[in-house]
Amino acid sequence: MCTCNKKNEYIPYPAKIESVKKESFDTKTFRVRFTDKNLAESFQYKQGQFMEVSILGVGEAPISITSSPSRKGFLEFNIRATGKVTDAIHALKKGDALYLRGPYGNSFPLEELKGKNLYFIAGGIGLAPLRSLINMVMDNRDDFKHVKILYGAKTPADMCFADELEVWKKIPDTEVWLTVDKPCDAWGCSIGVVTELWKETDVHPENAVAIVCGPAIMIKFVTLALKKSGFAGKDIIMTLERYMKCGIGKCGHCNIAGKFVCTDGPVFSYEQVKAFPEKEHVI
Amino acid sequence: MSKMIEKKKIKGLLKEAVKQWHTYVPQKHIGGDVLIAPLPEEAKELEAALDNISLADDDLVISPKDIFFPQLETMFKFKKGEIAETVESSPKLLFGIKSCDLKGILFADEFFKRDFEDAYYLSRANERLIVVIGCINPPRPGACFCTSAKTGPFAEKGFDLQLVDNGESYFVETGSEKGEEFVAKYSGFFQDESGDAEKAVNSIKAKAEKAVELKIEFQKALDLMANDDFIPEEKYKRIGERCVYCGACVYTCPTCTCFNVFDNAKGDEGTRVRIWDACIFEGYTREASGHNPRNQKWLMACRRYEHKLKYDKAKTNMSGCVGCGRCLASCPVDIGMSKFVQEITEDKKIM
Amino acid sequence: MSLKHVLTTCIYCGCGCGLYLTENDGVLTGAYPSVKHPVSKGSLCVKGWNSHEFVNHMDRLTHPLIREKGSFRKATWEEAIALIAKRFKGFMKESGSDSLAFLSSAKTTNEENFLMMKLARAVFKTNNIDHCARLCHASTVAGLAATFGSGAMTNSINEFEEADCFFITGSDTTAQHPLIGSRIINSVLNRSAKLIIADPRKIELSKYATVNLRQKNGTDVAWINGMMHVIIKEGLEDKEYIKERTEGYEQLQELVKKYTPEYVEALTTIPKEDLIKAARIYATTKKAMIVYAMGITQHTTGVDNVKSLANLAMLTGHVGFPSAGVNPLRGQNNVQGACDLGALSNVYSGYQSVTDENSRLKFEKAWNVNGLPGNVGLTVTEIISALGEGKVRGLYIMGENPMISDPDQNHVRKCLEKAEFLVVQDIFMTDTAVFADVILPGASFAEKDGTFTNTERRCERVRKAVNPPGEAKADWEILCEVARAGGYTGMSYKHPSEIMEEIRTLTPIYGGMSYERLDPYGLQWPCPTLEHPGTPYLHKDKFSKGKGTFMPRPFLEPKEPTDEEFNFILSTGRIYWHWHTRTLTERTSTLEREAPAPYVEIHPEDAAELGIRNKEKVRVISRRGQIEIQALITEKVVRKSCFIPFHYREAAANVLTINAVDPIAKIPEYKVCAVKVEKI
Repeated sequence: MCTCNKKNEYIPYPAKIESVKKESFDTKTFRVRFTDKNLAESFQYKQGQFMEVSILGVGEAPISITSSPSRKGFLEFNIRATGKVTDAIHALKKGDALYLRGPYGNSFPLEELKGKNLYFIAGGIGLAPLRSLINMVMDNRDDFKHVKILYGAKTPADMCFADELEVWKKIPDTEVWLTVDKPCDAWGCSIGVVTELWKETDVHPENAVAIVCGPAIMIKFVTLALKKSGFAGKDIIMTLERYMKCGIGKCGHCNIAGKFVCTDGPVFSYEQVKAFPEKEHVI
Repeated sequence: MSKMIEKKKIKGLLKEAVKQWHTYVPQKHIGGDVLIAPLPEEAKELEAALDNISLADDDLVISPKDIFFPQLETMFKFKKGEIAETVESSPKLLFGIKSCDLKGILFADEFFKRDFEDAYYLSRANERLIVVIGCINPPRPGACFCTSAKTGPFAEKGFDLQLVDNGESYFVETGSEKGEEFVAKYSGFFQDESGDAEKAVNSIKAKAEKAVELKIEFQKALDLMANDDFIPEEKYKRIGERCVYCGACVYTCPTCTCFNVFDNAKGDEGTRVRIWDACIFEGYTREASGHNPRNQKWLMACRRYEHKLKYDKAKTNMSGCVGCGRCLASCPVDIGMSKFVQEITEDKKIM
Repeated sequence: MSLKHVLTTCIYCGCGCGLYLTENDGVLTGAYPSVKHPVSKGSLCVKGWNSHEFVNHMDRLTHPLIREKGSFRKATWEEAIALIAKRFKGFMKESGSDSLAFLSSAKTTNEENFLMMKLARAVFKTNNIDHCARLCHASTVAGLAATFGSGAMTNSINEFEEADCFFITGSDTTAQHPLIGSRIINSVLNRSAKLIIADPRKIELSKYATVNLRQKNGTDVAWINGMMHVIIKEGLEDKEYIKERTEGYEQLQELVKKYTPEYVEALTTIPKEDLIKAARIYATTKKAMIVYAMGITQHTTGVDNVKSLANLAMLTGHVGFPSAGVNPLRGQNNVQGACDLGALSNVYSGYQSVTDENSRLKFEKAWNVNGLPGNVGLTVTEIISALGEGKVRGLYIMGENPMISDPDQNHVRKCLEKAEFLVVQDIFMTDTAVFADVILPGASFAEKDGTFTNTERRCERVRKAVNPPGEAKADWEILCEVARAGGYTGMSYKHPSEIMEEIRTLTPIYGGMSYERLDPYGLQWPCPTLEHPGTPYLHKDKFSKGKGTFMPRPFLEPKEPTDEEFNFILSTGRIYWHWHTRTLTERTSTLEREAPAPYVEIHPEDAAELGIRNKEKVRVISRRGQIEIQALITEKVVRKSCFIPFHYREAAANVLTINAVDPIAKIPEYKVCAVKVEKI
């Protein structure tokens, strides 16, 4: 047996899938509850953190938590089938077991966002980690000023959380702007990459923070546009993605320069990201 | 300094120690390779193993990091959804490791303790006693550069005991309370030394330092790396092109601790396993989507040197290189840390 | 806790590196290089470093299985062996011995290959025994035996460290023989050795080359003849050597006359200046090693290609010295040994011909049997076809996976489906095993004692580190049980060392190789007596056959040239990260991660013409089948040619390849067939 005092961080805990919702053509949202009642109730996490999600016998993958800490008792993961583990998770159904450990990583700085205008800018499945924060904001709406959600995807079928985009739209002082690269016939919103939305709506730096998540190339162009719009580096916040195994700063994979995305991130400010050497190709 | 032990008594000491410790000693195989492994407990096997122990300055292919961080390690077993933790913990005596490897172990200790604790490593390393035998001659001549990295050939601290080879006997230096207790417990094997030991020890150490022929400007390299703009990309590119991606530099390195995790299972029964991984592999940073931020050969080579000489130093104030020279000795195409250091400090093309 | 290190020999390529397996409480937890071993010298390639992992895999076969009503059930060893003996003896009685066939394995030990041929020949009286050497170096065995008298690598691996010129053709050396490849890199970069590469595809070593000849696939005889033309024309041949040590020079002189650099350029696309430069460098460097592999052998003109290289080496006097010779790099860890020990349709161990009556009598006497067959048996591809035709009714496959490794997969599948009775002995449920009637679980290299013979003819020990999983047994033990059930009493051994004693008495080149002498790092054959030190390089002072024979060959077109419809040349091969049919490496996490998916290499200009983007899925079609596969756009291949690694069942290259074989060696033409590439 382990003779060190602390718990073995690598051991996951059993959980059950409560519901599976097809979100976009290649992503599903899984609502999951720890099997252990006490753990399910006492479990705490912060918006922006991630969990290591396993299927025993297949493997483990880091997945950002998309549910909001303000809504307790369960966890939600929006997962795209892109590898061995996520493919296997996609084959699961309600009642099946998943194994979880975490939460890991830092989080979106909620306190610093209070009293600010917020721009949520997401691409594709990048809306998943932002959704945790968005719902946290929506559940404490008065603490924040105006909210704009700018969301782009390849096609309408790639859009995640379509129902919730409708819900957010209706919340006062909250705008939702959508765009796709390749529209379908029924598409009524903008066409083009997410920065095209700059033409449609004001993106203003005053008392504002922008929170960005999406593919590396999208983050690159969005941060450029934000800088151009006058945002300071510290007011641009993003989450980074890296190949990751352990989630706790040991396996080494997610290392960027002297930092680990899993423990020092995944949330970084543009200022921090710019400090990484260019050859790390962070953005 | 007050004790010594005759070489002929070492076997007897180890025979006693085996009763309390898993006693890891360098052992010689047919053909002359030396690897560190625990002595068997069974009497006959123990006798045979003791005949093959080798405490000379042998090249241990792999640093003894694998005692606490095996190349492949089972993390837990599972069957029908039930998880059974598999953590190894036993008292271990490391007898006869080198000072560079001690430094590597101390470095890894710090890493595995930092932030989240690594239960596997810390449990294996929890109860241990380390007896260093300083090198009289470098085990990997032409590759060892401990005097430049300031890690040897004798350790200054961190050991429990350190033996200084004096021909027929060893002078015994005590580095910890545990070490003192060990000497006290097995006092029958040790004896008080006579004469001016300090002088003798100093002269042995000075001679041993001279025996390490490869001298490089290691400190200068650390200083240069602190400002990475200085290092021309062309140097990394050349290394990256030459590299044949075997992983040896990482696998043999005392301070490299990266691992991959995978499940070995059939149906609902199996194990979760971790295995040494290496940052010089392309797949090390490839994401599930196929995107790879470190997708060029030179970036992988660069990563390793920057990690060892720049980021480790900045984070822990310890260099991530301990000067053991194994990366060069095990590289099929003659790439190694000492050559990299020579390239950047002497500004010439060596590799 | 028990933890020990066991010195053994790597399971992957023909380099035969010495490595230590770490065993901890019955599980393999590591693989480390031997520092003192003459090949590994403290290094390994990534496959060697990770060679322990697959042994522990839960997918291992642990019990004999018998097919019943379309699915497999667990069986006892007694049941399974009895069934095999009963069926095989039944076929023998009904249709004669040649209705049986045996495929041996270059992954198993020398002792096991010897027993497999003994089982086939002494117990079941057939020479229908072969193995995958047929698919890799059959051309070498035939071509070098005819010209030099011995079909093996002439030099030793460490002689690469002294050579001044490497002439590499059809070998992606750093990928397939990494520790030979690294010696070449070091020689070029540290000692300025010259490097000539003749390969249609750009390989890792190309960037170090002094001259890069990128011939059109399948034109090897033409450019080799062209080099000899230049050498003779410029008077660079070694006249004294030719006179003293060879025969048949006049015919060569005559034949190569027409292969002028201009003519060769037209046939091969090699610029004549490059050909001349290469010829001059090779001819004028004394310590020059020819290095080749499957790019030379896997052609319908495979034997011609090998003979032509032998001609070139003799012409310049570059054979029979340290660091000078002709060096076929053998692929599998023990493909040299499997050939040496007679797992071939035409020879007993030590290349003693089955058609030679004296040899037959010698083996009959030693094995205490009568009527050893004197006809040459069927080869690998012939066995599979005969199985489909019902001529072979019982087939016993040990450690081979023809479903993935043999050409024209659709044909192989049909034949395996039609098999009347198929036995597969392996460590995993392979793509071939799924067709079996009986599956026998064998032991991996880590679970048994024995010997492997590496590409430099070094016979070295394999040592047991762990027990086989479940009820699995060492292959030599299984073969002995089958022999006993077949009614033969002459196959009982307590340990592989006893088998080696029998090998020694029957096999002159292994005569001095007792187990005591093989410690620590083996001996190189020929080693005829217990006093003989072994032979680092062959043909010293004279060729094995006496005088070396020039065997000039004219250039012949490949079997399936491209045409308007099938306008791409397809070549197949291996990559660094995977091994053969991937049964081991797909179960090795690091290797599988590095190369998880199959791909087809296509030249950027061809891709642009076809409108194909990098990593886009395309369809590759030959006259025999089609696969869908990711495109990798790269200048590694020349225009109108493509390359597919054959490892992956997911897009098996051998669906496309052609079952056309060399008339002498019967090796299939894996390196040239015509395909078309389509955007999906």
